[in-house]
Amino acid sequence: MTDFGAIDALLAGARKEVALPPAEERRALREGLNLSRAQLAKVLGVSPSTVGGWESGRDPSGEVREKYAYFLEGARTKLAAEATEAAEETPAKEISAEKQNDDHADVEPAAGEDDDVDTLATPQPCVLCGQPARHQVAGFPQHLDPTECQAAEPAQTSEPAVPVTPAARPESRRAPTTGRRGQAGRGVKVVPVGRRMQPADSPDLIASAVAAALDEHAGDVEAATAALVKRAIPDAMALLDHSRKGGRYDVIAHPWLPDVLRKQSSRGADQIWEARPNWARPELPAGEHEVTALDINGAYLSALKTHLPIGQLEHSTGNEHNPRRAGVHLITPPAWDHEDHLPNPIGSRDEPGPLWVTEPTLRLLLRLAGPKYGLCDPPQIHESWTSGATEGLLEKFRVALKDARDRAIGEGDEVTLEYVKAMYSKFVSTLGESNYNRELYRTDWMHLIRSQAFANLWWKAHRAYDEGLLVVRAMGTDELHVIGDWRAVFAEGRGVAEVKVKDAYRVGVARDEST
Amino acid sequence: MPERNIEFGKYGARGIKGYEAVARQLDALAGYIATPVTARRGLQARLHYLTRSDHARAAARAAGLTVTDRTLRAWLEGRRAPSRRNLRRIEQAYRTVRRENVARYLVARLNRDGRGTRVEIHPLNQSGVSRPRQRVVDFRALNVRRWDRIVAAWAAGDDQKLDDAWADQIVDLGSQWGQYEYVTNVGFAA
Repeated sequence: MTDFGAIDALLAGARKEVALPPAEERRALREGLNLSRAQLAKVLGVSPSTVGGWESGRDPSGEVREKYAYFLEGARTKLAAEATEAAEETPAKEISAEKQNDDHADVEPAAGEDDDVDTLATPQPCVLCGQPARHQVAGFPQHLDPTECQAAEPAQTSEPAVPVTPAARPESRRAPTTGRRGQAGRGVKVVPVGRRMQPADSPDLIASAVAAALDEHAGDVEAATAALVKRAIPDAMALLDHSRKGGRYDVIAHPWLPDVLRKQSSRGADQIWEARPNWARPELPAGEHEVTALDINGAYLSALKTHLPIGQLEHSTGNEHNPRRAGVHLITPPAWDHEDHLPNPIGSRDEPGPLWVTEPTLRLLLRLAGPKYGLCDPPQIHESWTSGATEGLLEKFRVALKDARDRAIGEGDEVTLEYVKAMYSKFVSTLGESNYNRELYRTDWMHLIRSQAFANLWWKAHRAYDEGLLVVRAMGTDELHVIGDWRAVFAEGRGVAEVKVKDAYRVGVARDEST
Repeated sequence: MPERNIEFGKYGARGIKGYEAVARQLDALAGYIATPVTARRGLQARLHYLTRSDHARAAARAAGLTVTDRTLRAWLEGRRAPSRRNLRRIEQAYRTVRRENVARYLVARLNRDGRGTRVEIHPLNQSGVSRPRQRVVDFRALNVRRWDRIVAAWAAGDDQKLDDAWADQIVDLGSQWGQYEYVTNVGFAA
């Protein structure tokens, strides 16, 4: 014999999910009360970033969803009350009514009839019609007034087994789908498992580290940021290890390095020329010019995509370049005749003669010497230290960081932004023989990644020149000064493919003033 | 032992013994004074290191620097310069004392409370071997958890013990471990 009471209890317990306001309204409600994410998160027993997720489209479920709905409803009533109070300068009756409702259920005229009747702070879907109801009878949310209830049967019964009308179903489903549509902005990664698709089981190391740090510092953003920046290097290495799982190649951390990559003395530099640009246009056309200093976003982050040697470098001689290999090359650079309008691709080098350059610089020179550009002669390669190369070695690592960065910018999450920035910049600067990162001694990679950033900047300068802008300066890793309508050439923003304005200044004298 | 190579390099392979590569890397981690002992600056630095305390003096004497305190003082003040043989002794004593002093900390860093350190073994160089005689020897990495014997043998300067201690670790590579008796490089960090 089946226990019908247990089934009834189960049916009674299986309530529909509470409808939540749309994502953008949730944030507005919280901020309207001057509450921080951390404060709310602490009360709800979740992490601040989870609250952030709810406010940007994700939906909570289960018990915490009801708690959250309760908070949002409370916030909405409080804000509405404050608004009316401010408008009328009279004691808000709603608030007092609400308070009395909480204390004594019999204030409501309809509620006095039955002892089982309770008022609800958050409207829950009526078991009869699915519309939000403010009362519950014996634990079942429902409308007390049959006219409010749009269902066919005006059931005022307090019996537990209430048949749900099929006509009510479509209406009740509509509310959650609208919520889910707003959430479509962030896709869920899926992988095929057997015959079916499943959400990819990839722990988000960055998000979990940020959430843990915020939890630990009780939502103190500055303290959490400082703690995260401090552990950025080991975390970046952990992320790198994680991103190489199932990869084709091992990351070789301690290869034997040729002497050109070794420091001459403890404070000295090695022999590699990274081609850092420091170029200024010698002269401008007459007249006054509006110069804009553009800043390339995340230059080193983008530069992680470069041809990196996988294994130990091997020596070779001869004027040959193998595109499947990468490393460092001793070349005699070609003459550069475009110094007055484009920076030299090998940077501002004063000494003549052969020099050790890295793969990105050599590829840049070879491309410029090719038939498409024809800007210079091909460089003369004397000897090379190379190894089989791949562009994909740090690709997953880069994409993980880039995604986290994009998400942080979208959500205005400064903690994650700072953390990601510290991770990739410190990763690049401690790749070599740094004592701050003893897990990876790849001086060759460090030089290659930096050179790639410089080569990327050179291409940006070339693009500006090609589109008719006047390139005035190219300096450092990420700074480009141009004259002209640069917005037609580069997108403005904070993404890695976009640029932001660092400075705008005037140079030169207007013609009418000079005469 | 069948895994040991008997006539290494007969067909043109190049490499060094694994324990030599380990000792080289440990030396690099120990961080000796960079200036050579033949320069005045390097000599002074070594003498200062060896005469800093009574303990250091005793260690230097035990390590073979058996000169009188008067001579040491004369060297330090620059009144006399050590002979070439004594320069060699100073260098030898300095390296021994430095290794002994560093060993304790190196072991702690390498053992990492039992988590050990990842060691990369770069295989021998076969570029001089004729094509038919070349064999596939891959890059390998393994985690070495107990460094006590390796570092102790290195600090004592005992090559035989260091070789044995290192071989005991690389047998974990599996039945092919004999291919890694000779290597081009052993990489790890502390």
